[in-house]
Amino acid sequence: MNIERPTNWREDFNRRFEENGPWDSWSLYKMSYEIEKMNLIPEFSGLQAPKFLTNLQILPHQLEAAKTVIEKMNGKAILGDEVGLGKTIEAGLILKEYMIRGLVKKALILVPASLQNQWVTELNVRFFIPAIPYRKNTPLDHYDVVIMSMDTAKKSPHREKIYEQDYDMIIIDEAHKLKNHKTQIYEFVQSLKKKFCLLLTATPIQNDVFEIFYLVSLLKPGHLGNFETFQSSFSATKHSLKEEKYLKELVNQVMVRNRRQDTGIEWTNRKVQTIPVHFTEEEREVYDMLYNLKNVSSVFSSSFTMVTLLKEMCSSKEATYLTLKKMLEKCITKEEIDYIEEIINKLMYLEVNSKAEKVLEIVEQCNEKVLIFTEYRATQAYLQWYLNTKGISSVLFNGKFSKSKRDWVKQLFRERDQVLIATESGGEGINLQFCHHVINYDLPWNPMKIEQRIGRVHRLGQEEDVHIYNLAIENTIEQKILDLLGDKINVFEKVVGDLDDILAT
Amino acid sequence: MFAPQVHEYLRTFFHETNCEIESDEGYMLTVQLTIDIDKKIMNRPFYWQYIETTGSPPNPARLTLITDRSKIDNPFMGEIIHFGSRRLNQIFKATKELGAFVQMYEKVQQAENGNRSTLTPYLCVNYKISYYCDQTKEKMYSLGINLVNGNIHDDFHESVCNLNLTNEPTENIYCLPYIIKPHRGLERLDEMIQSIVQNDDHSWAQEAKMRWEKEQEVLDYFYEGVEEKPESYEIEKKALEERFNPRIKVEIINGGLFYLKS
Repeated sequence: MNIERPTNWREDFNRRFEENGPWDSWSLYKMSYEIEKMNLIPEFSGLQAPKFLTNLQILPHQLEAAKTVIEKMNGKAILGDEVGLGKTIEAGLILKEYMIRGLVKKALILVPASLQNQWVTELNVRFFIPAIPYRKNTPLDHYDVVIMSMDTAKKSPHREKIYEQDYDMIIIDEAHKLKNHKTQIYEFVQSLKKKFCLLLTATPIQNDVFEIFYLVSLLKPGHLGNFETFQSSFSATKHSLKEEKYLKELVNQVMVRNRRQDTGIEWTNRKVQTIPVHFTEEEREVYDMLYNLKNVSSVFSSSFTMVTLLKEMCSSKEATYLTLKKMLEKCITKEEIDYIEEIINKLMYLEVNSKAEKVLEIVEQCNEKVLIFTEYRATQAYLQWYLNTKGISSVLFNGKFSKSKRDWVKQLFRERDQVLIATESGGEGINLQFCHHVINYDLPWNPMKIEQRIGRVHRLGQEEDVHIYNLAIENTIEQKILDLLGDKINVFEKVVGDLDDILAT
Repeated sequence: MFAPQVHEYLRTFFHETNCEIESDEGYMLTVQLTIDIDKKIMNRPFYWQYIETTGSPPNPARLTLITDRSKIDNPFMGEIIHFGSRRLNQIFKATKELGAFVQMYEKVQQAENGNRSTLTPYLCVNYKISYYCDQTKEKMYSLGINLVNGNIHDDFHESVCNLNLTNEPTENIYCLPYIIKPHRGLERLDEMIQSIVQNDDHSWAQEAKMRWEKEQEVLDYFYEGVEEKPESYEIEKKALEERFNPRIKVEIINGGLFYLKS
């Protein structure tokens, strides 16, 4: 085997010998030897990083995860812990270990833009890794550890600049954003050299089993076979799996997944309830009219639009109105226009929002901090107004907020307002352990989104049992969503592993 | 390395590098750096470049380092330094640079009959061997060669580090002349370390190659039947090689000439 001897010590020594000096201090010489001895890596296995990380309390499951990735998975893995167990800590630990061992010098960390600064702080403060956030003109040659938003990385000229570098390690946070192999970001990551690679996601399957196939194929192409073999052996149809057990085993060879209950930490309970809501007669009438739209005109035949409208009607008239208004512009015949105008008319006269009343009931009953999630901005605004008329103060949150605005909103919610109303995209990157009531005002199609929502409050540091209220209006599309969510959770549990409660059982 | 050890280390380091310690409470110390040490541990090359090109008067930093923050009320009084922190790593690195070559003489008592004592020359080299694949293991060897008879000794550093040594020969000694020139001695030590490496157990490298082959098979399976393999195949293949291909590195930590009583 080839032996590298990277040192010019020899020439330097010979010169000093010829010139009789200069010679160094004996104390420094001895200190240097002692430091080398202290930092020596005596075994291939085991972790060196923890002894350097005096600022950090590492939990046993995090240590175990790092060891498994390094020793058993050879440094390429999906970190799939449930939300709130510290995947960032695990990733930092692994990166640090490889840096200490001299195996990683340059590392690229791709994250959603909203989490960029959080990563920079974590790595610098807790891990003493000099990571910098990538801005437009950051010279990549000059920095070894760079944190970049995925949206920036995938675009020119940034992607070309990244390809020019030779990264030893790639870390991707919220890696479920790569579930679709037809996206630009997927192609970008696919063509990136991944020597050591970590994909962080609590939700490796969101909708169907192909997502895990694409994710694993990014990490280790071939591990789940190629597309044809995977399709023929694991999926007759998208939701019923034949060889789930085998697939689960394969997936677990490249994935570490800690669940709250196996961390040895005392977790508070989740109390999940489905709260049925009844429409008033007037609301029902509008809903039925909307349902009928597809029989009225071909303008409304797209099932996507229909589903949107029905979901919106289950949310608020404000949300529904905006979509209807847009549709009205597309209508041509008088019949179509009349029908929509009639709906809008009826909509305007609605005085009661049954679901909002239910929210009020829950908020008043628990009399504590409540986090409400809705899918629609219009509903968000309406709920704030409605609660305000009942004397309940609230603050709004969405994912486009900057870091400082997030912190401000969090502080208002902690100190002033009883309710925080967030939209879906506000889910990531805000932690609210001081609150333990979550209302899912609208249900998304994807169960993992609910898990992410609950994860905002049910995480390390939560001291109370967490109450989750899933609101669903009876005999509407929301009933169907509930059933479908159940099916999807089923697929996840068969392939990835059990999930904490998301829906009431 | 706990707080008191870090403190002791800093104290010795600054003392040895002629940086004036202005105050030292045992958990916090304030030190005026020299220009040379500032350049080595403050990480501000642009400042020094500016000073040197403009000929401005240099102003090396004055540092207050806190080694035990539990004894401090106000953490803003200085920089907290501890094992693992970047500043300490920079100081370690500076130590390595400034403690690389020595020439030391053993101190001897004046012999009663007035005869001079004889000292034998040795060359010592401290090596670090690193084995790399997707994992790492390191070993240290301290080898010393007697430059008169050519014998090579193990654990040389351990055997000399507690002797009473000085960097100037005392008057009452006589140093034997080299039979083996130091640069030849160095070559012999290099040959020795080479043979130590070659005779070591290298099952780790075999195992790494097996892991490599296994992963290569998985990769090939993914592209089975694809006539013209895309670029991503080559990229993956290269990444596998970089991750698993076993390598060995032999570094010299430091070394020097030692004149010792036989």
